[in-house]
Amino acid sequence: MTVSFPSIDFFRALQARMHDERERFKRLGYFDTVFGVRVLDAGRTHAYVLSFEVFECTGVRETADLSAEPVDFVLEGDLDTWVEMLRNIQQHRAADVAHSINTLTHLGERMRVVYDDPDGHDKLYRFAESVQEFIDLAATLDIEYAPRQAASHAGA
Amino acid sequence: MSYLSSVDFFEDKDFLDRYRYTMRTGELDLSWMQAATEKVQCEPQNPRRGLTFRDLDVGTYGFTNMPELIRANRSFAPRGAEIPAGVPDLQAEVNRKSEVWAYNIEGYYEEAMSRQWNATTDVPWDELSKYELPEEIGKAYSQLLTFLTEVEMIATDVPAKWMGRLNADFFEVKNFIATQAMDEARHAEVFRKRALTTGWGLMRASLSNECNLKFLRDADSFAEASLTLHLQAEGMVLTLFRFSELISPTEVDKKMFRLVMQDEARHVGYGMQHLKWVLDHFPEKREVIHRHLDEAENFVFGGGYATEVLEPFIILSGKGMKQENIQQGLKITAQFNLKQVDEYFERLDKCGLPERRERSKLAQINEMTRAVIAAQA
Amino acid sequence: MAYFAAKNFFEDPELLALTQKVFSGELTLTWYDSPTEKIACKPADQARGFTYEDCNVGTYGYTQLPEFIRKNYSMAARGSQIVPGLPDLGYTINRKSDVWSDNVGALYEEAKARRWAPAVDIDWGALKAAPLAAELEAAMSQLCTSLEEIALVMMEFPSRWVSAINQEFIELKSYLCAQMIDEARHVEVFRKRALAGGSGLKRASATVEQALKEILFAETYPEASLACNLLLGSLVLDILQHGAAVSAIDNRIFRLCSQDTARELAYGMGHMRYHLAHQPHRAEFLQDFLDRTEHTFLGIAASPEVLEPLIVLAGHGTAPAALGAGSRRVQAVLRQTVDRYLRRLAAVGLDRRGRSRLPHFFAAPN
Repeated sequence: MTVSFPSIDFFRALQARMHDERERFKRLGYFDTVFGVRVLDAGRTHAYVLSFEVFECTGVRETADLSAEPVDFVLEGDLDTWVEMLRNIQQHRAADVAHSINTLTHLGERMRVVYDDPDGHDKLYRFAESVQEFIDLAATLDIEYAPRQAASHAGA
Repeated sequence: MSYLSSVDFFEDKDFLDRYRYTMRTGELDLSWMQAATEKVQCEPQNPRRGLTFRDLDVGTYGFTNMPELIRANRSFAPRGAEIPAGVPDLQAEVNRKSEVWAYNIEGYYEEAMSRQWNATTDVPWDELSKYELPEEIGKAYSQLLTFLTEVEMIATDVPAKWMGRLNADFFEVKNFIATQAMDEARHAEVFRKRALTTGWGLMRASLSNECNLKFLRDADSFAEASLTLHLQAEGMVLTLFRFSELISPTEVDKKMFRLVMQDEARHVGYGMQHLKWVLDHFPEKREVIHRHLDEAENFVFGGGYATEVLEPFIILSGKGMKQENIQQGLKITAQFNLKQVDEYFERLDKCGLPERRERSKLAQINEMTRAVIAAQA
Repeated sequence: MAYFAAKNFFEDPELLALTQKVFSGELTLTWYDSPTEKIACKPADQARGFTYEDCNVGTYGYTQLPEFIRKNYSMAARGSQIVPGLPDLGYTINRKSDVWSDNVGALYEEAKARRWAPAVDIDWGALKAAPLAAELEAAMSQLCTSLEEIALVMMEFPSRWVSAINQEFIELKSYLCAQMIDEARHVEVFRKRALAGGSGLKRASATVEQALKEILFAETYPEASLACNLLLGSLVLDILQHGAAVSAIDNRIFRLCSQDTARELAYGMGHMRYHLAHQPHRAEFLQDFLDRTEHTFLGIAASPEVLEPLIVLAGHGTAPAALGAGSRRVQAVLRQTVDRYLRRLAAVGLDRRGRSRLPHFFAAPN
């Protein structure tokens, strides 16, 4: 089954894959966080809230306004960066060094970590391995990348 | 108690200027690239075991070549690194290898790291609902668990107290101490949790054993602390865990005791290998060891006052409080007591202290007790 | 220093009489009707297992722990029946808000669940299969040499205090044990990384060690925790992020280490929040402490043994252009690190923006 990125179906597919591999995720340890994903697409924003508890992804939903959501942190990047990362994961079965979440967000150049509470921010690192392995599950999906939106003009 | 660096770095003009110059020009000193250290490429000798500390036992990095007295390093510098001028003194009090070392210390550490089980999830707590223990068994078991949770973390506090006093070159020992600290926290945790599932909660603290804990805590040297903690006390607790597994009221408890005894055996193993090393390399310690064991064994014998430990054991091993249960329990407990002391002296024999039996009042009383039991039988 | 028993038990007629009585079948049963709370705890969430939070009930729980522990200086388990005559084991930290954090139980459970073993959880063969260029490997070895020094101190910090802390705070002491083993793992993995790559260890650092000794030898536990977990932890976490971008094997090593370090930060923040909520007058003392201690951050971050390998790794080499690019990148990293550190402090009630010397130094045009 093909899933489109970005879409709620994509993240639901990751959730399902994580459930299938729960023994592996269990060995990584407790994974207790709620974080947001924001994909910027030429003026349009796709935003999702991903909830994790104990060893499972317990919730995936789309949201119109991520800034109003009680998330620990938000991974934010433009569509091109997300797509490049996912293509890299699919090519190598897992993100290579240049495309890991850590590298992409390191200085906020390609991807940013947005947060209000430093405690929440630090959860990205407390659960770093689990976050990366969750994203790496995209290697097992058949993904159709949505075409980039035409840039919107201010005031139009 | 506090220490202040030899300089406030914000006021060290040379330091600040060098940083600013580096960042402005990208010109680096890079002298560390030519550090006067050995170039090695360690590999796993056994790929299934991964890369272990034993694989790193090469040249100046290794522990085999470590001298008996650490004269060259009183800082935090990693063993084998180049030590520049100006490193601070760590105030290590123990700088003699034979005070702390043990054969196979690196093996015990790696084993500990790979065998960290989790009291929260590795005991099948949900299966406890299948069991309903009679009141006397439940209470006796809760009391035994109360004793166990009470005493376990002395083996966190005592080694941890020494960790910072050891020279940094003995990091394999420090690392082992860290694993033991965690093991004991886990033991205190699992026994506490089990006691709080029984319906009887925790019960009575043990005065006699608390005094013994104070003795363990207040040793004069690391070697003495380790001897009584790892070899004598934990050795006897290991025997207790093995008997407890035998007399466990449920399968869940058998599993729990099997898990804790793995860790305990490792600590006892370190204790034995440490004593062997001390006797092989620091023979002057022999008489000090005997004097310390004199008092340790006094506390062991004084454990007879701990009826809050002895009596639950009798009830659990006899499986009840009727007279026939008590009689059966007394037989098993007497055997346990003999075995506990026998195994202690066997360990000392194996470590190279066979003369301990002749000197020890505990050994004499043990033999007398064995004779009485045999006569009664 | 050694403690001796109150009696020579081998010549104690009272003990002999008691032993004979018990072994004749006449049990004392002094413990049988212990007046402690009778409860039966069980896991609230089977998937999570049986946690300390599940045991946070009544007199056994940590929520009901008083601020000052006056009645128990022994190792008698919290909630058990205290009997007369229990010895004083010498605890000098007996005030809850000096050590506690509301997240300490959860962090202890998380630490156990997220354990890993460097010997087998790292693919050491990958180093041989895909070695770094010699100068990058040398830089990584130097960085690991410094990180091994730092990890040793971060391991010794909890060990210095744990035996001084009252046993009533068992969850906190257990968390400190977890921190010890986490940092033992870091001592191990950084040493293994340096010795497996072909370059060996490099140079210890006088400035790093002076700074580390000042942090480690802080006078009180709150100061030590603030300096080690928050100040040093903030710097270490960002260094680990930086190191994770070097190669596949380092990606995994540094990411796993960052999990452990982030947990220490979480405790450090929780501890400060709790401490200042209960002892608000301590805020100015701690501000004063940081006024004179924050220079250690500089002493470590700007020491050549830390700074230069970070630059070489960031620029991917030692050619002038690489070093220039690497310097600019590391400068940006350190600015970000300081900003994150100050945000953490502000979040716990120690706002130092406008007071700390760090932002001005790291933001200064060079």
